[in-house]
Amino acid sequence: MSVRKTIISNCEKKFLLKNLAEWTRLDGRAFDEFRPVKINFGKDWGSCHVSLGKTSVLAQVSCEIQQPKSSRPSEGVLNLNIELNPLAAPHFEAGRQSDLSVQLNRLLEKCLKDSKALDLESLCIKMNEKVWAIRVDINVLNYEGNILDCASIAALAALAHFRRPDVTSDGEEFIIHNVQQRDPIPMVIHHYPVCITYSVFNGGEFIIADPTLLEEEVADAFMSIGLNAYKELCGLHLGGKAELSPDLILSTASKAANRAGLIVQQIKECIEKDTQQRLLRQKQSFSILDITNDSVSGDIEALLDPWTASEKKHKKKTKKEKEHSNMVDTKIEIDKPTNGVELTKIGEGTVALVPIEEKDGTAIWEVSDSDDDDNDEVVVIEVPKPVVNLLDVNTDSEEEAVTILNADEKTKKKKKQKQKK
Amino acid sequence: METVTDKTNISCKLGILSRPDGSAILSEGNTTVIAGIYGPVEVKLQKLLIDKASVECHYRPKSGLPGVEDRLYESIIRNICETSFYASLHPRTAILVTIQELQNSGQLISCAINAACLACLNAGIDMKFMFSAVTCYMNFEDDLYLHCASGKETKAMFVFVFDSTEKRIIASHTKGSFTKEQFEEAVELSKEGCEDRFTYYKKVLES
Repeated sequence: MSVRKTIISNCEKKFLLKNLAEWTRLDGRAFDEFRPVKINFGKDWGSCHVSLGKTSVLAQVSCEIQQPKSSRPSEGVLNLNIELNPLAAPHFEAGRQSDLSVQLNRLLEKCLKDSKALDLESLCIKMNEKVWAIRVDINVLNYEGNILDCASIAALAALAHFRRPDVTSDGEEFIIHNVQQRDPIPMVIHHYPVCITYSVFNGGEFIIADPTLLEEEVADAFMSIGLNAYKELCGLHLGGKAELSPDLILSTASKAANRAGLIVQQIKECIEKDTQQRLLRQKQSFSILDITNDSVSGDIEALLDPWTASEKKHKKKTKKEKEHSNMVDTKIEIDKPTNGVELTKIGEGTVALVPIEEKDGTAIWEVSDSDDDDNDEVVVIEVPKPVVNLLDVNTDSEEEAVTILNADEKTKKKKKQKQKK
Repeated sequence: METVTDKTNISCKLGILSRPDGSAILSEGNTTVIAGIYGPVEVKLQKLLIDKASVECHYRPKSGLPGVEDRLYESIIRNICETSFYASLHPRTAILVTIQELQNSGQLISCAINAACLACLNAGIDMKFMFSAVTCYMNFEDDLYLHCASGKETKAMFVFVFDSTEKRIIASHTKGSFTKEQFEEAVELSKEGCEDRFTYYKKVLES
């Protein structure tokens, strides 16, 4: 497009990095927290709208019959096509391939096609002559960072939702049956791989999940991990310039595995819901209310959150070390009615958060139980099952404040979630 | 902003995308489109006009590459936008109009035009007038009507775009064969339909 890409200014960059150094993100998320995913299906088979926070994409699966490749005479063809619509950002050019679109396409192909998620042999009609060619068109509608995750969810959900018309053959002729004659046939999907993207800052010092547009631009590198619900790796890509240790990649991948499980579960639930609606013949076109996000005011609220939190932080800093555990106690008491957690003091400056009740699906945050106390880094792992949460509290006042800040944010979020319910 | 539904079976929401300067999602019946406007923005050198803003329109179908019909939609919408914008207020700039189809169940083009108008209003583009499109169908019994179930055979189809001030026709697009009288009848019927659209626009903007 005619418009040049917006350049990230140095002050924006510095501000973001400063915030990261204080363990906060501009939108108030925790480092390994993802934006909420919304999946909506349209009236047509294989039409799906997915939004990840404010990033949104539209996927549509279509099929046609064609001759198979001579190297693979008994396999159907899967084509993935990401289109960077000028709607999404003014610098995206319509109908032209850019570096970004090629990269996204390739990563998506790696994740979905090369991992053999779709059973291509079931798409064969007659060997060497006729196979189904499945095409997935992904239109990016709004670009607010992390297109890849959003697109991979959309492509997978659309493929899982799609049904192709039935074909019969009497040896000579092929008859494509329409929907009235025969029920259309769903795709055979072996496993559900999704991409999970992380941004890497300061050569691996900060690794944040689901980067926004600004975070994506400022980051040194990005790590994209393709995973299925069985926690099998279906693609790994490290782009940009950052030297990461293998341990870091492994730990990030294991974090991503849990996320992949949750996403796949969500996709399956959404498809189930859609099938129910279709059975009851209630299916309409995209409901506008479903697609559209909340108003801008919700956004401002999220942005203000870290600021109020840091005000409290300063107050807490003045308090003495002794009061610290009490303070945490009060925090927990706010927590108690919502999810029933128990606080147990383990040792000097260490407390454990033990959830009493079984939680279903919702993430529990476990702060690293790392052995070395001098290590400033707090690794947060997303675990679907209830686990003992260890808060690693350092004697250093700065570090201590940080832990409170995170806890504070979490309680706020839980409260918010409760209010929403 | 609230979603407003009307007796004409239109529902719409403005400002649904964060990136474009103005955006709207509009459904008429089951047909749904998203429109987004960027502008006035920097212009490509070959499209630069020294006395006014250049209008660019992009229409994206849901699947596949844009074909001839999609190019036709683009040019219709671009022409309408060029007539309605005060383009001379912003010389050496561009206004980008992008339409994305979400679901097609007939009358897609009028839906796209109406979405473009609402997106322009949302973007705060200076306009001489608002515009609204109405699709009118004629069946084989020569009856005219404004709503059509998708997939039904029709003898002719008319799309008329009216301006909001004097209700003049600013664009028309027809398919099929018809007599002059039938054409005039269709114009009258569509004019009534467009009145509803303009009141609906006002309702959307007020909400």
